[in-house]
Amino acid sequence: MKPTVNVLYLPGTNCQEETVAAFAAVGATPRLRFAADLLAGAERLDDADILCIPGGFSFGDHLGAGAVAGALLRSHLADQFETCRTRPLIGICNGFQIAVRGGCFGKVGLKVNSSGTFRNEENQRHVVDEENDSPWLTGLGGQTLVFPCAHGEGRFHPDSTGAEYRVALRYEKESNPDGSFDNIAGITSLDGLSFGLMDHPERAVDREVRLAFFENGVRAVR
Amino acid sequence: MIHKFSVRSAGIAEPDIRELGRSWELDDLEVWRDYYVEFEGEPAPAALDEVAGVLGDQLDVVVSVDQPLEPGDVQVAYKRGVVDNESDSIVTVCGLLGVRARAGKVATTYRSASPRLRDLVASTRFNATIEELHDSEPHYDTLLPQGHYEPTVHFDLRGLDDAALAELGLAGGRNLSLAQMKHVRHIQESLGDEYVTEVLLEALDARWSDHCAHTTWKSLGGLLGKLIDAAKDVANPNVLSMFHDNAGVWDFYDGHAIAIKAETHNGPSAISGYFGQLTKLGGVLRDILGTGLSADPIGSFEYTAVGEPEAPAPIKGRPDARRLAGETIRAIKEYGNTFGVPMMSSRMTFHPAYRAKPFALGGSIGLLPVSAAQRGTPRPGDFVVLIGGLTGNEGIHGASASSAGATMDTTAVQIGAPLEQVKFRKALIELREEGCLSALTDVGGAGLNSAVGEIGEACGVWINTALVPLKTAALPMWRILLSESQERMLLAVPPEHQERAKKILDRHMVRSTVIGRFADTGRYHVFHAPDLTEDALIAAAPDAVPAHQGETGFDVPYELLDIEVERQEVGPPPRPSGVPAWPSLAPAELAGLLEQVVSDAEVASQHYADSQYDSTVQGHTWYGPHYGTEQSVRTAYWAGTPVAGSPAAAVLNTAFNPWLFEADPVAATRQMFCAAIAGQVLAGVAVRDICMCDNFYTPHLSENWREWLVGMVDELAGLVRHFGVPLISGKDSSAGSVHTDEGLVSVPPAVFLSALGKVPHRDGLLREQWTAQDNVLVHIGLSTASPVGTVAGRKLGLTSGALDDLDLSDVDSYLAALASSRNLLRSGARIGAGGVAAALAQGVLASGIGVRLESATTESLFAEHRVGAVVEVAQADVDRLPAELNPVVLGALVPGAGILLDGTDLFTPAARDGWLNSFTARIA
Repeated sequence: MKPTVNVLYLPGTNCQEETVAAFAAVGATPRLRFAADLLAGAERLDDADILCIPGGFSFGDHLGAGAVAGALLRSHLADQFETCRTRPLIGICNGFQIAVRGGCFGKVGLKVNSSGTFRNEENQRHVVDEENDSPWLTGLGGQTLVFPCAHGEGRFHPDSTGAEYRVALRYEKESNPDGSFDNIAGITSLDGLSFGLMDHPERAVDREVRLAFFENGVRAVR
Repeated sequence: MIHKFSVRSAGIAEPDIRELGRSWELDDLEVWRDYYVEFEGEPAPAALDEVAGVLGDQLDVVVSVDQPLEPGDVQVAYKRGVVDNESDSIVTVCGLLGVRARAGKVATTYRSASPRLRDLVASTRFNATIEELHDSEPHYDTLLPQGHYEPTVHFDLRGLDDAALAELGLAGGRNLSLAQMKHVRHIQESLGDEYVTEVLLEALDARWSDHCAHTTWKSLGGLLGKLIDAAKDVANPNVLSMFHDNAGVWDFYDGHAIAIKAETHNGPSAISGYFGQLTKLGGVLRDILGTGLSADPIGSFEYTAVGEPEAPAPIKGRPDARRLAGETIRAIKEYGNTFGVPMMSSRMTFHPAYRAKPFALGGSIGLLPVSAAQRGTPRPGDFVVLIGGLTGNEGIHGASASSAGATMDTTAVQIGAPLEQVKFRKALIELREEGCLSALTDVGGAGLNSAVGEIGEACGVWINTALVPLKTAALPMWRILLSESQERMLLAVPPEHQERAKKILDRHMVRSTVIGRFADTGRYHVFHAPDLTEDALIAAAPDAVPAHQGETGFDVPYELLDIEVERQEVGPPPRPSGVPAWPSLAPAELAGLLEQVVSDAEVASQHYADSQYDSTVQGHTWYGPHYGTEQSVRTAYWAGTPVAGSPAAAVLNTAFNPWLFEADPVAATRQMFCAAIAGQVLAGVAVRDICMCDNFYTPHLSENWREWLVGMVDELAGLVRHFGVPLISGKDSSAGSVHTDEGLVSVPPAVFLSALGKVPHRDGLLREQWTAQDNVLVHIGLSTASPVGTVAGRKLGLTSGALDDLDLSDVDSYLAALASSRNLLRSGARIGAGGVAAALAQGVLASGIGVRLESATTESLFAEHRVGAVVEVAQADVDRLPAELNPVVLGALVPGAGILLDGTDLFTPAARDGWLNSFTARIA
């Protein structure tokens, strides 16, 4: 039985196809979950082994990046989303912003880039944290992975009241594209199940890099 | 009940606000968003808190409720008739929270103690066309835009003399000529009607506009027909569809095809750089979506030419070039990134001829199955289904006014809303795959009138404008028909698939409405009947004509809607003569010239703009739009592998240089066409696998404009026949002259060429980055040595004279030799603006490797040999390069990162700084 992945497809999501392709390439069965079907109760968010919230501009990023989608996950889909958080969950770019607003990582913020605008870097370098034992990062600690950066509101900003996250990725020194605190490019929840990152491994030209995180996530639920 | 939520930073201002404060020299600048929400009834205080909680769900943000503006505050909001794109999202969020809301409105408020604040906001952050500026708290009775239906006005044309007809043709912002008005009278007489309506006048004003009917091109001898005939003569088997759909379609591999289209939004962009550029990209993406039975956009490209950023706008009240440049970047970023299509190529030019009306070109390519590549045909009985955004009072007279040149009014600006288009993008693909579509088209210039009129021509059509979902409470029939509200598509859906289609659209949260039916009448029929509901329409028999047609706009046989255009004869254009000589310069002077050249916007890094455009979304970008392990340098072509699991690549490049067209439009056409082909062949594409898209932007009041236009088209048709490279799509904008406060300003007669090629395997593509020290750089290609039109020529004052003639048989020989010797090339960079010197400088910047030149002259470094390249070969292979390439050794790659000539490094730190920062310094 192939592991299943629900890929949340909201109005404005635009990275679903490459994300679905990445999960399919590592042996999972990804399927899109449409917001309309979820709201109508025709489909569920929590009936898969993994939840993926892909990139894009959900609801046009109106009212703030991921704000409307975050409200959706905290209101009508709150119970289902809570269940998803007990399994591997990955949020990429806008999906990371939504996951943050959904409460996956405690009080952290993803704010306007320090440049004040969108940054596109085709070959952004990321170093995987060696201490984090999240299933999404298995075997990758210390490696430098090159994959695209493309976001406008990704400046990671922790709250001073105490960390409810663990660092997963850092931008390579001197190449921090958004001004993130401590060069943080991605984090996991304390239990390591939820993984959020602003940049896009699913777009990497190198196949091995493109699939690394997805392979780990799927392996964890086999 | 309306409540206001002000969302402000609690701590340090966000970087974009700090940057704005720095540029305005206001240390205390505060900027925030105000959200006005109209609720159904008075919400409980707890509900208001919940809404505030969502709006302020970010670290270091505070939300205050119902705080009025303070003295000195300046607030900018859309005018009351304009619907905020965020309104739907505000209502959605309230709904999720269990609070019922009707509408939302967003405003931006600026606060500073400085008395300069208001002027700064008004001059740089406010567009009077669509926005209003508030010094005190505005009062809104409702956030729902008001509007009312007005019965259509009738005109009996039978008794009117020429003067009265002409006056009526121009009344109300129309641009109908006397000859056209006489044809309208002919329609009335042919139908035996007592009158014609304002709706018909407006519909024909749009239908016969240059934008829709290409009247200028027709009057000069069927120019489009010349290009089509040339392409037909070529009979390239890759052509699947050309010039009769929203985009041309080119065969790809394994049952896939690629659509290509580019179009311009020059007029709207002159008024609002932001909305003009926003909708140019949205419009061309919609063209791709509306090609065949729908193609999925896989890449976009854009080109913008504005005036010099330091110069004021030549028309009082219009945005200047610097502002247009900034708004362009913001618009391209917001639409392209939100839509999720990779930017393949973007470029901005500063040229004084575009100071009154910019060149705002947007293009896209899209993937579709060969089986869906042909334009669909509606069948009688199919439903006319309008999907996407609401229709508002915007973009009125956009098509006819943009064709008229100088006299666009403010309602000609459309408001773009990319989210709507993202929503229906994948829905359309699903509808196509499920067989739910007989045909589709986009709703663009001239609105529903054009979309319904064109798609219905196959059999006949009727629509009820009362069913069109509006942004306002109501609108007059002609405004519903002519509105250019964006993000709408028109579908022909067979009755048996209507229910399935509706489910698909609902699932994608796409608004859809059946507004009429295709009919076996051969007539275009528009009426306004509020009592004919959508349900009743759907339930009626397929061939039933509605019993209640309310008020008739018009009901006219299609054959009466066509009009003859008077033919004008023109002679050959005057060609310039005499080529100025390049001066001889010492190495130090060459270094100084290099600094100027690489700091010119044509060569300099535009990373400030490019880095704001997503170039990797969809995950199939293989090469471009930048390369370089050291600095990010723009590639000369883009390649993508859009078919999952296939190595086959699509290759896109463009060719345009306004300075060449300014010098000699005909010679420039030849050089640009050949340059585009040479760039594709250098990349690895076979000539037979290249097609092009043309976008003419020409003046209509400057001297000899007709002669130049005809000369360019004739030249282009000849080039198509010679090379077998067809043009499969194109547009013409013939209103490039504007009366300004400074007098008449005209753009040069010019054509922008976009070339699309294909290769079966991406690994065969040649890259630009230098690979190894000790390899040799060789200049290959044909000589186009005239300094006229070159960047260095401008710096040296060598601006008048002739361009080089290219012998096409020499081009053939070069292309054949290039194709046969590509295995010898380690890398290759096309020569463009700035000549060999710019190619070398960018090679150094990208690779961190230097070059030691064997010799150099001003001409050898700075002449722009556009059908040529700088290639890297191994030492041992230099002698194997065929003579037809005209190889000239430039020098060897060496350690370090300089351009060395006789012990002097021509590439100074100042030149590097100029390349890196000059563009940003001029516009940011």
